[in-house]
Amino acid sequence: MAVRAALLTAILPLAGLDASGVVVEQLNRAFTRSSVTILKGSNIRFSNVDEFDHEVYVDSPNFNYDSYEQSPGETAVVTFTAAGSFEVRCHIHPKMHLHVDVVDH
Amino acid sequence: MRRAVLALLAALVWAGGGRAWAQANLAGSGRLLATSGITDVEGTGGGGLVPWALITGYGTNDQIGANLHATVAGEPDFLLTSLGAGIGLYDRIEFSYAHEWFDTGRAGARLGLGQGYQFHLDVAGAKVRLFGNAVYDQDTLLPEVSAGAEFKAADRHAVLDAIGAKSPDGVDFYAAATKLFLSESLLVDATLRFTKANQFGLLGFGGDRNDSYRPEFEASAALLLSRRLAIGAEVRTKPDNLGFAREGPAFDAFVAYFLDKHVSATLAFLALGPIARQGDQNGVYFSLQSGF
Amino acid sequence: MRILLFASLLAAALTGRCMAAETLYDQLGGHDGLSRIVDRALTLYFTDPRLHADFDNINRDWLQPRFYAFFCKTTGGPCVYKGRAMAPSHKGLHIDQARFNAVVEDLQTAMDESRIPFRTQNRLLALLAPMERAIVTR
Repeated sequence: MAVRAALLTAILPLAGLDASGVVVEQLNRAFTRSSVTILKGSNIRFSNVDEFDHEVYVDSPNFNYDSYEQSPGETAVVTFTAAGSFEVRCHIHPKMHLHVDVVDH
Repeated sequence: MRRAVLALLAALVWAGGGRAWAQANLAGSGRLLATSGITDVEGTGGGGLVPWALITGYGTNDQIGANLHATVAGEPDFLLTSLGAGIGLYDRIEFSYAHEWFDTGRAGARLGLGQGYQFHLDVAGAKVRLFGNAVYDQDTLLPEVSAGAEFKAADRHAVLDAIGAKSPDGVDFYAAATKLFLSESLLVDATLRFTKANQFGLLGFGGDRNDSYRPEFEASAALLLSRRLAIGAEVRTKPDNLGFAREGPAFDAFVAYFLDKHVSATLAFLALGPIARQGDQNGVYFSLQSGF
Repeated sequence: MRILLFASLLAAALTGRCMAAETLYDQLGGHDGLSRIVDRALTLYFTDPRLHADFDNINRDWLQPRFYAFFCKTTGGPCVYKGRAMAPSHKGLHIDQARFNAVVEDLQTAMDESRIPFRTQNRLLALLAPMERAIVTR
């Protein structure tokens, strides 16, 4: 699981930098990455490969998101429409944290 | 035999303790207070007189628990003392050992043995839990069921021979079913024992009246009054193998106090029936158990 | 005279009905009583060193209402529990019997502090104990 996560997150950004998404997995009550940089307008796919429910959210002045309940096996797709720095967290597991830098073209 | 059993038990406790150091929570006393019962006179985990299906100690299914017990029972004509140890492995297997001193006091003189003549009994026990969990299985009538054996060796072979006992050694086999009804704060046990023991084995095994295994019925009922306090009553029927001295069922009514998972004390009123022609033996029993 | 008789019979019937319908939820103090017990139990869980692994990374504000709803429903209270069943919600924690029992013990402490009688406490434990099968996976 961890190997697959590492491969996906390493290869995908190399494959298509502009429009395609990054995959970040939720595993062992943590994100499989601690930070990611993406282009404005692209998305992050949060793939729950954990044994727990998760609930991804972003709470910031210029961008908000809440996945609501995300069961094991479900993927939450978050499209970042604003540039800037954002903290992605989980409503259920407060130690889960992903830092996202969204850059303009 | 006693030294070998003691050595084996010491080795097991040491090994268990050794592994406990290695794995921090192996001796973590994970089971709930009072759910391991106390230790009976023969060193087996259960009530005061009756072995129960519960595995001794506070170890869960991946822990080891062990304890020591000291029991004194004073009857009008006799004094029974028991010291021993037990170990419970992974809530599945129990090993125990007890040594009993049976002091005849003035009855010894009356019996022509001499004042304060003592009999001794070694008991090595092994029990295995077959199925069920008395605490968790609250939604079914299925009890916790265990099977066990008590290997007993008495001394005073010449005296035992003289009173008609066929052997100074014997093995008791038993099966116990224990059920805790939490909604009623009530524990019950039914135990079936196959034995040839005379007075628990203190007066040897088998006799002139009978020398074959007899099924004997034992039962306990205990009411939990608080997390630390239980009261109960027990009955234990016994064979009557010796023509020399009749023997009958034993009863007790007890109060058990569990200070914590390391210390418990039990006070009981015992009615042991007639022993060695000295009349009905009704007395008081006190037991201390210490362990984890 | 007849009205008096009827009224007293009705009162007796209603009283009998109320007492017969008292659930464990009622015996634990209803909404306020159970809330207090759950609140105290969770405080104990979050500070119990034996349970550190289980409560180290869980949002209490998320957990507490679900905990309450589950206990409320289990004890016959007027709640709907919409959370996960016991097995899937605990599977990932690999809970052993010692930790399951620690949760029981802390709950007993919380009920002691609310002066719930011992026999009543055991009635709740009787409902929770069989969940060991679903919750304990080690």
